[in-house]
Amino acid sequence: MQINRTGIGLIAFFGLFGLAIAIAPFLVSMPIEAKGTLVLLGGIWALVALGLGLFARRQQHKAAHQDWVFQNGIRGSATVVKAKSSGTINEMPLMRMVLDLDVPGLADRQVKRREVMSVFAARRIEPGLTLPVCVNPEDQNDFVLVW
Amino acid sequence: MGELDATYSAFAAANGLETLPALAAGPLTPLLVEAGSGQLAPAARGKLPGGVEGTVGQLAYRRNKTFRFNVALVEVAVSTAFAPRLFCIRRGRHTRDDEFYGFEARDSKLWTESTALNERYKVSTSPFQDPNWLRQLFSPALVDWLARVPPADFSFELAYGALLGSVERDDPDAAALTALCEATAHVAERIRSECEE
Repeated sequence: MQINRTGIGLIAFFGLFGLAIAIAPFLVSMPIEAKGTLVLLGGIWALVALGLGLFARRQQHKAAHQDWVFQNGIRGSATVVKAKSSGTINEMPLMRMVLDLDVPGLADRQVKRREVMSVFAARRIEPGLTLPVCVNPEDQNDFVLVW
Repeated sequence: MGELDATYSAFAAANGLETLPALAAGPLTPLLVEAGSGQLAPAARGKLPGGVEGTVGQLAYRRNKTFRFNVALVEVAVSTAFAPRLFCIRRGRHTRDDEFYGFEARDSKLWTESTALNERYKVSTSPFQDPNWLRQLFSPALVDWLARVPPADFSFELAYGALLGSVERDDPDAAALTALCEATAHVAERIRSECEE
């Protein structure tokens, strides 16, 4: 997953307005109950923004790591044994797959994999399909499935 | 018969194509996904102007408002091994009006090398695309052609062997459909020839 412009806008919106709503009650006089409500509301919004920001940062790190594995990994292939969609995330199928990995220098093995895919990519994922993989030379459980 | 149906019928007759009232192309590319089943109506198929086998039709769908594109769909199966996903979309094109999601599948990255190309199009690929192959595909001749020759609203999407050329016109005439098909055929031939090299 990667953040898009809408995501950046959402983080900015919840973060800025959340902080403003949480801080404003300390700058103007109002009943204590109203202050508490606004601080709570603003705090929740700011936490949502923080959570989204942390998720986006984690995804960026993951993407950078995947790029490294793709550039430095051992090339092999993965044959789809089973594949099914187990729900959607932001209208994109979450695919659960069982793959047979065939990587030079490593023992053949079967692994499970979950990937959020675009709809047009997910419809291609069916048993028998072979896709390229790149395996981290330092950790054979860490691999990039090229779809 | 509506004006659009009449245009497509005349276009099909002039080019020896089979006319279809509707065709579900399937969710083969991002634009077709926006329309659910990728239904083209009206549509015509056969050997398109430009010399490739394919289907031309109108794609219409609602995402808060109605979007209409005229598309040419051809198969370039050999491309899957070289470029599973390649999108060259006119800058400023909108395909939905209800974008609320802040995160999307990491399925592309910007590929920015040619100024002429980038001024007119946003080009994106799989994050795991071979950049050398892409540089060879986007030769100076193709970049120059893309910048000058296709209709102003032309874009194309290549996804797992399905190439979809599209223009944004609501009611195209025969000349516009011919230009769409010829542009799509040119891209298809260029991709095919690069794959075969």
